[in-house]
Formats: sequence, C-alpha cells, structure tokens
Amino acid sequence: MYNLVLNENMKIYRRVRTWILIGLMAGFVILGNFVMWHEAKDASADDWQTQVTQEKENWNKQLQKTNLDEGLEKFYKERIAVIDYQLEHDIHPTQGTMWNGILESASLAMLITLLTIIIAGDIIASEFATGTIKLLLIRPASRLKILLSKYIAMLMFSFVLLLTLFIISFLLNGILFGFNHMGLPLIRLIDGQVVEQNMFLYLWKTYLLNGISTVMYITIAFMISSAFRSSAMAIAFSIGTLFAGNILLEVLRGYNWSKYLLFANTDLTQYLDNRPFQDGMTLSFSIGVLVVYFVVLNLISWLMFTRRDVAA
Amino acid sequence: MSNEPIISLRNVTKRIGRKTVIDNLTFDVPQGEIFGFLGPNGAGKTTTIRMIVGLISITDGQILIKGNNIKTDFEEAIRHVGAIVENPEMYKYLSGYRNLVHYARMVPGVTKARIDEVVALVKLEDRIHDKVRKYSLGMRQRLGVAQALLHRPSLLILDEPTNGLDPEGIRELRDYLRYLTRVEGITVIVSSHLLSEMELMCDRVAILQRGKLVDVQPIDYFTHGSDTSQTYQIEVQMPEQAMAVIGQMKGIEELKRSEDGFIEVTAERELVPDILEELIKNHIRVYGVQRVRTSLEDKFLEITGGGQVV
Ligand SMILES: Nc1ncnc2c1ncn2[C@@H]1O[C@H](COP(=O)(O)OP(=O)(O)OP(=O)(O)O)[C@@H](O)[C@H]1O
Ligand SMILES: [Mg+2]
Repeated sequence: MYNLVLNENMKIYRRVRTWILIGLMAGFVILGNFVMWHEAKDASADDWQTQVTQEKENWNKQLQKTNLDEGLEKFYKERIAVIDYQLEHDIHPTQGTMWNGILESASLAMLITLLTIIIAGDIIASEFATGTIKLLLIRPASRLKILLSKYIAMLMFSFVLLLTLFIISFLLNGILFGFNHMGLPLIRLIDGQVVEQNMFLYLWKTYLLNGISTVMYITIAFMISSAFRSSAMAIAFSIGTLFAGNILLEVLRGYNWSKYLLFANTDLTQYLDNRPFQDGMTLSFSIGVLVVYFVVLNLISWLMFTRRDVAA
Repeated sequence: MSNEPIISLRNVTKRIGRKTVIDNLTFDVPQGEIFGFLGPNGAGKTTTIRMIVGLISITDGQILIKGNNIKTDFEEAIRHVGAIVENPEMYKYLSGYRNLVHYARMVPGVTKARIDEVVALVKLEDRIHDKVRKYSLGMRQRLGVAQALLHRPSLLILDEPTNGLDPEGIRELRDYLRYLTRVEGITVIVSSHLLSEMELMCDRVAILQRGKLVDVQPIDYFTHGSDTSQTYQIEVQMPEQAMAVIGQMKGIEELKRSEDGFIEVTAERELVPDILEELIKNHIRVYGVQRVRTSLEDKFLEITGGGQVV
C-alpha cells in the first residue's frame, strides 16, 4: 500500500502540469495579499486605539437609527463588545497585523478544492484514456487498493496545497506587516460572552473544515471518473457542482428539503461563524448528511472501478 | 520440471452483450513452452489474453495459473504473470526508468539490480532515462517487454510483440524468448499477425477463429505436413512429356503443373527416387527437385478458409 501511494505521488509530482497549478495558486495568494497590504498601508495613519474608537462611534451612531434591521443591530452590538474588550485589555485588533491577511487568505482554500478536483478528475480517468490502466491492474494489487492509493494521494495533494497556502500567506504577511503580533489572540463574541481564542487554532479549524468540502469533491470526481472514465467529464462535472451548486442553493433556499442537498452541507465554516444555511441546521446534522453522501458516492466508485471490464 | 500445466483454460466463454466473443475455449500450456495464438483480426486473441490477466470478467468456465484461479485468487495468480496487452502503453511523462520503478514497486522483491538487468536484456541502456514520450514504437515495445519480465514471471504473455520491431529487434526477441524458455523455464504465450514469425518462434500453435478454437498443433504439423506423403516440385526440360511419364506411375496422389512451369507431384517420400529414375530412363533432363513446404501461412489460410476478417 505504501508503495502504491509512492507510485501515485510520483505520477502527480513528476508532471509539469502539477507544478504549474501549484505555481498558479501561489501566484494568486501572493497577489491577493499584496493588494490587501497596499490598501491597509494607505488606511492606517493613526494608531489602532484611535481607529477602533472611531469605528465604535460609527457603530453607535448607526444604533441610534430607528427601524434598524435586526441582523445588523446584532452585528453592530457584537463589534462594539469586541472593541470594548480590545481597548480594555490592550489587545491589538487583527487589522494592521499579519493576521488580517492570513485570515483573509484562508478563504482562498476554495482554490485548493478547485485544483484538487482538476488532478482528482484526471488521476483515474487518464489511466483509462491512455491505456496505462491495463499494465497497472495486472499486478498483485487488488483494484480496491489501487483506488485507495489514488484517494490517499489526492488527500495528500490537497494537504500539500493547504501547507503551501499557509506558509506563503504566513511568511508574506509576516514580512509585510512584521511578525510582532504572532501571539495575538482572536477576540470573538460567542453566546453573548467575549472570549479570546488562539489564532493558529482558529485558522487551522477553518482550513480543516474547508478540507472536508475538498474531500467531498474528490469523492465526486472519483465517482465520475470511475463511471465515465473520462477526465474532461470528471473535471467539468465536479467544478460545475462546485459553482452551480452554490447558485442552485440560493434558488432553493426557501424549500425545507434543500438542507439535504450535498452543497448545503459541504461548507462547514458556516457553523464556525454561526450562520447556517437554514435555521435549525447543526454541525452534527451536516456531518451526518456528509457521511451518507460520502459512503454512497464511494460505494458507487468502488463498484464501478472494481467490477467493470477494462476495455481500454 | 513438473508436468503440471502453467496455465490451463477450461471451457472459457466470454459474452459481451448478446455476442459470444469467445466460445468454449479449452487448452493447457506446459512449462517451458512457447505457445502461439493465431487468428485473423477480431478472432478473439486479445479478448482471451484480457481474461487470462483478469482485466475482463469470464462469463463461463475458468482459468487457472499455476493452479490459482484468476477470478477468486487474483493476486496469487497474477503474481506469476508478466504481460503486454495490445500496445504497451506507459506513462509518457515519465522516463523509461521511472516507469520500470513504478511497476517494480508493485511486486515485492524486485531490486534495482533487477531493473538494470532487464534494461540490458532489451538493450535500452542508452535511452532508459529519456521520457517515454520521445521513444519510437519499437523502443516502447522493448520497454513493454522489460516491464513484463521485471518480477521474473513464470508465464509471459505478449500480445503482438513484434509489432513495431525492426528485423533485428524481432530476431533478438526470438532469441531471448528461446533463452527464457530453455534456460529459465518460463512459459510464453504470444499472439501475432506475422504468421511466418510464429513458425520461427513457437513450439505449438492454437488457431482461433470467430472466438472458437479451430486447432491446436505442434509447429511441425504446419511446417512438414500431417502424414508421410508430401508435395515435391520438379524442374525438367520437357514438362509435357514428363507429366505423361509420371502420370503412368503407381502411387502418385496428385500431379499438376504449377503456375511457374514446374511439375508438382504429391507422393510418398520413397517414390521420389523412382520418379527420377523413370524420367531419366525416358531421356527427360531433370534440373532440380524440391520439397514444397506447406508453410504455416498456407495451412492457416487452409484451416480458417481464406482468413477473412470476421
Ligand atoms: N468491448 C467490446 N464490446 C463488444 N465487442 C467486443 C469488445 N471487445 C472486443 N469485441 C469483439 O470481440 C471480438 C474479438 O476481439 P479481439 O480484440 O479479441 O480480437 P483479436 O483477435 O485480438 O484481433 P486483432 O488481431 O485485430 O488484434 C471482435 O469481434 C470484437 O469486435
Ligand atoms: Mg488483438
């Protein structure tokens, strides 16, 4: 099994294409962070106390207004509570520190999903398309093991991308903003209580929750690959689901059953930030739905990959 | 050497949809034999090979490799097999060497020294570190043979291995197949369109047509004819008179003029000196006598009835 994964990795990383994709992602992250740094540099002339005090006054003014939206009112009050806490305990806000860029970059994890889909759609289907599947399957390794080794290689690939994202955004923002706020805690309001959270922990929680959606998309790509044995189909279909899925969700949000759709549950960061797709959805509900999809999709891949004739 | 067959097919049938592609195939191949698979396009050679290596399911019957059922004991059975199925497709973006490393990792016990050994055997040392993308067809075929031999299989299956090889390459392939069977005791199954190639390579040949096994015979059967009487070609000065003289003799099974003016006589071997004696007695000058070899190709066409594609 170890050797099989080694083989799959060799086939991924000894291709120029893979490095172009990784380079592309790195380029995106670097560009995005530079733009954010540039904007932040222009904005911050005063020290942070003055800035947050100004912000607080602004929110207070907004709160004076009548017919205020309930959601907005909640948001303003949360911000004010956080600012008060920061001023009181002399804790620098993330704005103007390396952490702002790093946290923003975490939203680029979507790119990781995208790139992983491209490789995952290809890793099975291309073996069929080029005929190499024949020489791969006539070895003393069951088809299940071959499939599994490809799966593991994809998980590793998405992890490599994640590390790339983390390292680049960490170093770049550190260099641009300075590393002096590395130990800064994250101040958040949870259930009406202001709490301090470890920034690294929060960041990696976001990453890993995003990783779960990546895993789901790898699974979809594998299923399409095994069923149709066509890279183009697998890549197009999975990326299509990634984008069309979110659009479709907006349309279907009104229907209660839409919470059982796969895409309504793939983004688990909705619970981290306390804004679920539909009221009443919980983290365990989403995990349950994901597990069911995961098992069914993998079962289909497995049946398609191990049972069918290889006529390539 | 044991007498147990290395591979044995029992009533093997393959149906795809409603079409019976392979119909009730039964044969054994003993250790150390080079076994040829002969048949026109679409006869089912590749399909049979795909079933032997477990790429496609077997509708009916069973295939045993060293006593292991390919269906139920896949890993144990396939361990003893090295194969090329149709074209030897490799990873084009990897070097030849990396491709071999890839396959070596899939079987326990294949060392780096062994990789170098097979590379030397197929004479690819100079180009082994080039990307396969840059290989010629013949070089890919050589690499294909190399990957099939890596794990020292007991059974080597080559689907049209001469495809793309130059005459020198074909001769080398023939030589090392001989070496592998005679010295290392490997069993080989080859399929080929080059029928004359089979004559030089195989010990035994199976003729396949429309998915059915037409005949399995030792190669001698095809090259020398089935019984004692054979056809001889005689070149004489006066063919008309010679025909008349021979026609009067006893024991002549067939007599005719060939297209290029020779006389063709079919008779027992012992009759040949008598025929010559008779001709000379009648003052007919004889320039030469030659046994007409029924080549495998003729026999093959004869058996399959013209060799049309099905
Ligand atoms: N996937 C398939 N679906 C339907 N029919 C098939 C399939 N694969 C092969 N066949 C049929 O099975 C028959 C045997 O094909 P096969 O490839 O085994 O022939 P072959 O003897 O290897 O021919 P060739 O000399 O051209 O390589 C052909 O008639 C072919 O049309
Ligand atoms: Mg064929």
